Amino acid sequence: MSIIKTRGVTKVYNPDKIPVHALRGVDLDIEAGEFTAIVGPSGSGKTTLLNIIGGLDRPSGGSVSVGGTSIGELSDNQLIDFRKENIGFVFQAYNLIPVLTAQENVEFVMLLQKRSAEERHQRSEELLAAVGLEDQINKRPAEMSGGQQQRVAVARALAPKPTFILADEPTANLDSASTTNLLDIMARLNQEEGVTFVFSTHDQRVIDRARRVVTLDDGQIIKDEVRK
Amino acid sequence: MLTTIAWRNIWRARTRSGVVIGAIILGIWALVFMISFTTGMVQSYVDNAIATSIGHLQVHQDSFREEPKLIYSFTTDDETLQYLGELEGVAGAAPRTLVDAMAGSSRSTRGVQIRGIDPAAEIPVTGLDQQVVEGEYFPEKGRNPVLISQALANKLKVKIRSKVVLTFQDKNLEITAGAFRVVGLFNTGNKPFDEGNVFVRRSDINRLLGEEQMAHELAFFLNDPQRLGAVQQEVQAKLPDLLVEDYRQVAPDLQLYEGQIQTSATIFMVIIMLALLFGIINTMLMAVLERYRELGMLMAVGMNKVRVFGMIVLETLFLAVLALIPGLLLGWLTVVWLADTGIDLSAFSGGLSQFGMSQIVYPQLQAGFYVQLALAVALTALIGALYPAWRAIRLRPVEAIRKI
Repeated sequence: MSIIKTRGVTKVYNPDKIPVHALRGVDLDIEAGEFTAIVGPSGSGKTTLLNIIGGLDRPSGGSVSVGGTSIGELSDNQLIDFRKENIGFVFQAYNLIPVLTAQENVEFVMLLQKRSAEERHQRSEELLAAVGLEDQINKRPAEMSGGQQQRVAVARALAPKPTFILADEPTANLDSASTTNLLDIMARLNQEEGVTFVFSTHDQRVIDRARRVVTLDDGQIIKDEVRK
Repeated sequence: MLTTIAWRNIWRARTRSGVVIGAIILGIWALVFMISFTTGMVQSYVDNAIATSIGHLQVHQDSFREEPKLIYSFTTDDETLQYLGELEGVAGAAPRTLVDAMAGSSRSTRGVQIRGIDPAAEIPVTGLDQQVVEGEYFPEKGRNPVLISQALANKLKVKIRSKVVLTFQDKNLEITAGAFRVVGLFNTGNKPFDEGNVFVRRSDINRLLGEEQMAHELAFFLNDPQRLGAVQQEVQAKLPDLLVEDYRQVAPDLQLYEGQIQTSATIFMVIIMLALLFGIINTMLMAVLERYRELGMLMAVGMNKVRVFGMIVLETLFLAVLALIPGLLLGWLTVVWLADTGIDLSAFSGGLSQFGMSQIVYPQLQAGFYVQLALAVALTALIGALYPAWRAIRLRPVEAIRKI
């Protein structure tokens, strides 16, 4: 069953001035448990598509359904709640809260979900252990490397038990070793725990590990390859 | 955790937070000092007026207040005076005969008011004996003694034991005069009062006026000013035909000055709070704009606008509270210290005494003002947080996340 379904999604920036067509009718279905990379050259619409799927932006046309909910019909406040419960985000620049420790960063979204302190504490420890940071839980982002920060970001994205995780260029700022390490962790989470990952990326190392590669060009899907 | 984030965010830009906290501390301290100084100065004027001439309560014949003529007098008896002097909260009750006169020496003349007093009764009311800086306070022996101020002595060019002739109208409106001997020089610190008043025994002036029990004024000094209203009622009940007024009614300028304390405090507070307001808005706006991407991320992962708004407001309130506590403490300590030692303004004593104020000002502040100030700072911080917080919730996560 598709957990993400887009139909005829378009996105036009500056429609009244000089229109820029970022997406031109994208139809995409993503099943639970997929490990999908959305690739394409700069300006092809990868990030725009991710933003729309993630409920951060609204399409100019078409429909987006996530877990059976048509997110285009949700108000801004409903969208915020929807993201909190259903979507985990991993950003290119990590975007951790600098004044919180690794563990507090992971607990933060669960706090927004009003989970109990005990549950937050236990799950954050488990997730940080899962990404190999059990000995870094009391460190703040500034005290960690880029790779470690991105692993905290993955743990944070997993914390609310989302339907899927959207990762926008997650390895863009990482060195080779950190990239490999991060991909190993995400692949294991995908295979062992069935976590759905959707990436936008330029990084060939990510593309090589993906089990499905959707290629965008000029706002349209030009190739959709599923690997065995 | 929102509280934790808000608290820690304050310390992300230590210098900037330190500067704004320092500015608020300084503003609060300056406000406390200025208002306590103003209060002390005005209060010294009011206290001087009460202590040296007016007292807390005065009794007159109705017409005397309209037109202070010699004939608008009343008579007093010892029994009534004793009763009134022993009322609860009353330190003393002093009858006075008041006569406009010319004081003449061999060298000069000046217009004065003769204040005929009972020397013993006057002491608890005005403490006049303590104001005598040279000579004696109405010695038992000697005929027609007079106390004049140092300032008047200089004008009349007289000294202790000099003769002064007081010329005035008697009850028949005939010009009469009496020769008085200067027995003491006083200095109340209130220059206009000192230059315009002389003290003689009431029995002496009444004899010259031809009316032994005459008085124009009965002044009360209270050792418990809280009982002012009650004492006023009790005196009025005892003297139903006379006009009994408190010092505010007798001297409306005192009421005006007392009112000025609150007005000045409000003006000072508004000015300082406006300065703090813009400082807070500037600081918090910078904090929000610097953290644009972070705020976008918070909203992306599910932090709703109410929480984002609350976080910014909370940060601002933390800043204010961090400054409020030391600011109030510093201000309070300054007031406590200066209330004891006073601020010596003798360099400006000429000007101050012209206005009936003391040379040493003892700053003072009511406890309620500290509460008002704390609320004002909190309210200012709250108002100052509104615009930055509004800017924070207006951001679009999709744009903010990518902002560098």
